[in-house]
Amino acid sequence: MTILVTVNTVEHFFDVQPDEVLLDVLRREGYLEVKGSCHTGDCGACTVLLDGRPVASCLTLAAKADGHTVTTVRGIGDQAHPHAIQDAFVKNGAVQCGYCVPGAITSAKALLDENPDPTEEEIRLAMDSNYCRCTGYEQQVEAVLDAAAQLRKGDRK
Amino acid sequence: MGRITQYYHAASLEDAFAKAKQLGPVAAYIGGGVELVLRRNPEITTLIDLSRCGLDYIAATRDGIEIGSQTTLTTISRSADIRQYAGGSLAYWTGRIAHNNLRNMITVGGVIGRNQPWNDVVPHLVALGAQVRLFDGAERIMPLSGYIEAKQPGVIIKGVLLPAENAGSKGFLWRFTRTWQDISTLHFSALVSCDGKVMTAVKLVFAGRPGHATLYPRLSEELVGKSLSHETFARVAEMAPDLVEVGTDLRATGEFRRELVRAAILNLEEYMTGVAQ
Repeated sequence: MTILVTVNTVEHFFDVQPDEVLLDVLRREGYLEVKGSCHTGDCGACTVLLDGRPVASCLTLAAKADGHTVTTVRGIGDQAHPHAIQDAFVKNGAVQCGYCVPGAITSAKALLDENPDPTEEEIRLAMDSNYCRCTGYEQQVEAVLDAAAQLRKGDRK
Repeated sequence: MGRITQYYHAASLEDAFAKAKQLGPVAAYIGGGVELVLRRNPEITTLIDLSRCGLDYIAATRDGIEIGSQTTLTTISRSADIRQYAGGSLAYWTGRIAHNNLRNMITVGGVIGRNQPWNDVVPHLVALGAQVRLFDGAERIMPLSGYIEAKQPGVIIKGVLLPAENAGSKGFLWRFTRTWQDISTLHFSALVSCDGKVMTAVKLVFAGRPGHATLYPRLSEELVGKSLSHETFARVAEMAPDLVEVGTDLRATGEFRRELVRAAILNLEEYMTGVAQ
């Protein structure tokens, strides 16, 4: 079957199998920034935004994304034009092995889009999908607080 | 799933129902799809997607609050109406169980349709006295507790109604888990109405026993008409382990679960008497 998905603001027609998950389709189509890990919806490495809300792409059937918008971490910012959240992750030591970071930043982006001034508890709740075995989470929470402050100042997007 | 050969986006309830009727047991309706992907059923070859049938809604009516079956847990947790309902217990827990990614995917119709014994939403809805609106060519409504006892294949879950008469009661949910995101070793839900310090109506539900959600009217009777006192709850906590059917599985022994049943009643006491919020 063919689905129409807008990925990072670009419309694509993808040929997919009815039982294929979005993670596999995105990676096959070159969106290698979306990481696969547990494949059971537990770890959050594969997080993408579906119509602005974070989901586990390893459990999302690609067919469900037909007609919808997907944002990967590359759609949030890239090396040339990093988003404030990405800069804050680097600055606060929230990136070590880096494998979980695309998912973590994606979850953080969804949070700050809806809540520009989150509490630490709200950050932990919004990022409770994203396992990180390096940082112990503290630096990630600090990074999101830092990014939120930067974004509220209005000098970053 | 086994080999899914067809994914069908239904345009309406009538369209979905006709397709399911035509295909029979090889077809399944899909909500969020989480369970269908995780626990593949080799008999299912066609998925019928209901997301274009207008079932993603929350509406406050004279009868109560109706939640469309395709509404996600996140949307439920953010509803101002549901935050006000029965002390906000449903909104609180739909914003915390599983994790954020899954809460954005799991739909209320999906959890009712699958009704896994470890599910935390269904037993709480049963405690809240929810009714389920069904479509099988025509609409009808029935208590959720009755629906999960006798599921009807092919029937579409259109929505869930939280009855207006329970809006002012207090909802309570307690999950016994090893970690925050773990599935429950025992689930306990309650709905309590009071007149001053006297309980006037009580519904108690245990689930994850490891069996499915079950109402315990015999225990409820012991609380109705009684005051919110330690003596009242202590007596019920002593009775409850003998009345709630619990079993042994890989997660816990029946003996351990009986102790949790006792603790659950005492946790309700703390909540109702204001020691814990």
